[in-house]
Amino acid sequence: MSERLSQQFELGYTYTRSTGPIVGRFLTELRQRRIVGTRGDDGRVYVPPMEFDPVTASALDEFVEVADCGEVVSWCWVSEPRDSHPFDTPFAWALVKLDGADVPMVHAVCAGRDEMRTGMRVQACWAEETRGYITDIVCFEPEAQGKGP
Amino acid sequence: MQYAAVTGIGQTQYKARRGDVSIAGLVHEAARNALDDAGLDWNDIEAVIIGKAPDMFEGVIMPEIYLADALGCDGKPMLRVHTAGSVGGSTALVAASHVQSGAFRRVLTVTFEKQSESNAMWALSNPQPFSPHLNAGAGGYFAPIMREYIRRSGAPRDTGIKVAVKDRLHGARNPLNHLQMPDISMQEVEDSPMLWDPIRFLESCPSSDGACAMVIADEGLANDGPRPPVWIRGGAMRSEPTMYAGRDEVNPQAGRDCVADVYAQAGIDNPRKQLDCAEVYVPFSWYEPMWLENLGFAEEGEGWRLTMEGATSLDEGGDIPWNCSGGVLCSNPIGASGMIRFAEAARQVRGDAGEHQVDGARTALGHAYGGGAQFYAMWVVSTDKS
Repeated sequence: MSERLSQQFELGYTYTRSTGPIVGRFLTELRQRRIVGTRGDDGRVYVPPMEFDPVTASALDEFVEVADCGEVVSWCWVSEPRDSHPFDTPFAWALVKLDGADVPMVHAVCAGRDEMRTGMRVQACWAEETRGYITDIVCFEPEAQGKGP
Repeated sequence: MQYAAVTGIGQTQYKARRGDVSIAGLVHEAARNALDDAGLDWNDIEAVIIGKAPDMFEGVIMPEIYLADALGCDGKPMLRVHTAGSVGGSTALVAASHVQSGAFRRVLTVTFEKQSESNAMWALSNPQPFSPHLNAGAGGYFAPIMREYIRRSGAPRDTGIKVAVKDRLHGARNPLNHLQMPDISMQEVEDSPMLWDPIRFLESCPSSDGACAMVIADEGLANDGPRPPVWIRGGAMRSEPTMYAGRDEVNPQAGRDCVADVYAQAGIDNPRKQLDCAEVYVPFSWYEPMWLENLGFAEEGEGWRLTMEGATSLDEGGDIPWNCSGGVLCSNPIGASGMIRFAEAARQVRGDAGEHQVDGARTALGHAYGGGAQFYAMWVVSTDKS
């Protein structure tokens, strides 16, 4: 009798990653609780910044500081967070277009299910200690009443 | 088949670590340099052919996806080529075939490696279930093959040392190189630690970061740029299995078949005489005499004589200088190393290789090998179209 054997195995190695001058600047600014993007050749502001213009391929180097508040463009409710989610209570993954940016970025919004709506105003909730990670922005929260434009 | 020519060449500085740029920044730099060299912009390119060593080396799976915007691929075909260490050569050949076939008029081809961020040493031999882990890097894998070459040929023990010195002296003429060793001596190489007998530390290639790019155009566009076109006179690839009974790993059949094909296309029957120089993938010193035989520059068992006589040395006035750029022994961004050989052969033909130029070079061979010396890619380039 022959068997057709199979076996699971794991493969893992250690690596380094360099951010380069554009993403590196974005992450460094997060430490100062500032959010920057780059201006594309057509004038659009990309946040997080693009290293290269997605249409013309030219190297982008004009940084633009944008607000840490903006508008929810689209969202998806996570009703039962799993271990690998950033929160253990329900939250939303959302595309947030920050004031001054022309494209939205994906991040988490911590709000009540009934508060969530497309077009809602949100504001960054910063970590107490920032270290140059995207998680320096813990999440976005509904903007305080009266703070909107 | 349509005529095709190299009209632009771009390289980065090769270094132990390019911490100043991302992977995207590295490939963009080489590609931009090639476009500038050809007097072109991104819009002038119809298709992009990219190559690099296995994904596990850097741990970026399908890097071509992430690199599409850095290489101006928006709205264009983009193709990734993947043949281990020979990938730099086979990527250039795939790009050339895009033009030779008539499918595209002008293409950009780019290869890269960022060894400082990678794990090329161990990701080369992944453990697999049901068998013990080989756990060998390239040096450990190739050392027994070189020992067999020494046994068969009776080559003097210092042949490898001579190659290590010769390529570093060549390399000191090339400011792009990672290793700059203008004062290297036979004694210094001999005194360096023995890593995998017969290969000493200084008989091995370094680990480098870098990228290389070329623009390849058809006959109608070949004269559009500021540089003279370098015509691709022959190109071929061959493969063979890693292991099989009767495989000659010292003088692999796939290498012999590949070069015979390229020479036939280019009308070459006496490579030592008809070629002016060669850029050959020599990551460990002993591969020079082995490839001298495999590529028909010497009879079997006689390659080491050319090395020892100085035939392959610019400094000794050799008649067939090999690796005037310094070769893989001076810079080894693995995925790009083969393309650097192809590009440096083209630079020689163009006559703009600077301090490592072979006077009056008109025809040159570019060569790459990879895997367990089982993938071959070669081209012959010339000042003359036919």
